[in-house]
Amino acid sequence: MQGDLTLQELDRDGAIHEAFDGVNSRASFLRNAVIGSGALLGVLAAPRESDAASPSDNAILNFALTLEYLQAAFYTETERAHAIGAELARVPRQLGSVERAHVFALRKVLGRAAVKRPSFDFKGVTEDQVKFLKTAVAFEDLGAAAYKGQATRVDSPALLAAAVAIHSVEARHAAWMRYLAGFTPAGRAFDEPKKELEVRRIVASTHFIAARPRTTRRRKPRFTG
Amino acid sequence: MHAALGRSSETAEGLAAPSLPASPEPALDVPTPVPLEAGGATTWAPVRRAVFARTRPSRKTNVVVRLDTRTPEDTANIVVVLGRARDAAGRVWLHVRLPVLPNDRTGWVPRDALGGYGVVHTRLVVDLEQLTATLLRGRRPVFQARIGVGKPAWPTPKGQFYIRNRLTTYASSFYGPLAFGTSARSPTLTDWPDGGFIGIHGTSQPELLPGRVSHGCIRMRNEDILELGRRMPIGTPVTIR
Repeated sequence: MQGDLTLQELDRDGAIHEAFDGVNSRASFLRNAVIGSGALLGVLAAPRESDAASPSDNAILNFALTLEYLQAAFYTETERAHAIGAELARVPRQLGSVERAHVFALRKVLGRAAVKRPSFDFKGVTEDQVKFLKTAVAFEDLGAAAYKGQATRVDSPALLAAAVAIHSVEARHAAWMRYLAGFTPAGRAFDEPKKELEVRRIVASTHFIAARPRTTRRRKPRFTG
Repeated sequence: MHAALGRSSETAEGLAAPSLPASPEPALDVPTPVPLEAGGATTWAPVRRAVFARTRPSRKTNVVVRLDTRTPEDTANIVVVLGRARDAAGRVWLHVRLPVLPNDRTGWVPRDALGGYGVVHTRLVVDLEQLTATLLRGRRPVFQARIGVGKPAWPTPKGQFYIRNRLTTYASSFYGPLAFGTSARSPTLTDWPDGGFIGIHGTSQPELLPGRVSHGCIRMRNEDILELGRRMPIGTPVTIR
């Protein structure tokens, strides 16, 4: 299979909930975002400024951090669930440990400007081997394309060097997941970047970023006392 | 890249002297891969739609209880996940701890009835003999307080439970400044409003602690419940022994 797989194609068997009907339509995206998750808008909103980097670089870093949160949570939940076959067990273990390291590094450089970790609902994808693998391909392809899409916008050469260092790791992950899923790992001479809005649309349409369940209330208890 | 290629003062074999400037050092200090925290993790999930919990992972088995999406306190109803299995059709079911009488019951619900997972690394141990509550992170105690528990007529139930909500900012000094709701229920006060759930909360009568003074709830001094509130997340499993 060639190397131009899309998330839409990966969702043919429902691997990604509410997949990509009309994601190319901005109106549809906005409608989905409002109906699907109020929390999402907050998560993907423009970040606060910090002292460490330019506002533009901070925005890019927080954009990257949100994607890293998503990937890290996905592999971590899969590793904890122990629901995929033994032959793939090392995949979430290895990739999860790397994505958590990316989260750690981005949070460290952003400091107080870092966006908060969102709440996730992977809707059972982490407990199904086929869906897990297809989603992993999609996430890694998306991550690599997103880093590539932002590279030319980074002001700081040092941050660009760091972003490129992470980007090549995401590309390796993408090739590995593609190989395991039976797709061509590297079938193209040139890879296309994805713009920020396109990446946000795709992430929003998965509905994997969910509203945090409300477990606190301001009201008098009626426990037995 | 070969080290020589990055140094302008040297000439790599077969190449002219490099004319490119040195690359900047990356701004991020990316650590070595971060393995999962070992052991002690508990997974919980909110009930996304009302569902029957069953005795086994199959729609053809008996119903244990109907789980609603909200608690009596109008918070998200959560359950602690103990395991998973697939039915004959390949559907994933989760084995969950239930907030029902008799205490300590478990059941099976379809995965798609629950929302996204939360994970905690804490555990609260309530010792009814020593009259202590101890919060552990992994195996390490991080908090301990002397407590009040149920009188002999209204005993605090023993068993495995979990923290399912947190109530604050109410006008009742009786419960102190903060109250946690648990999945434990009084086995004797079955007609108590809202189901007779056991809470962990502060008190307006600290002089009674420690002791067997309550209707089943676990009381602690207000400063202790506030400290516990800073350390204990929702979903924390609770052992009462």
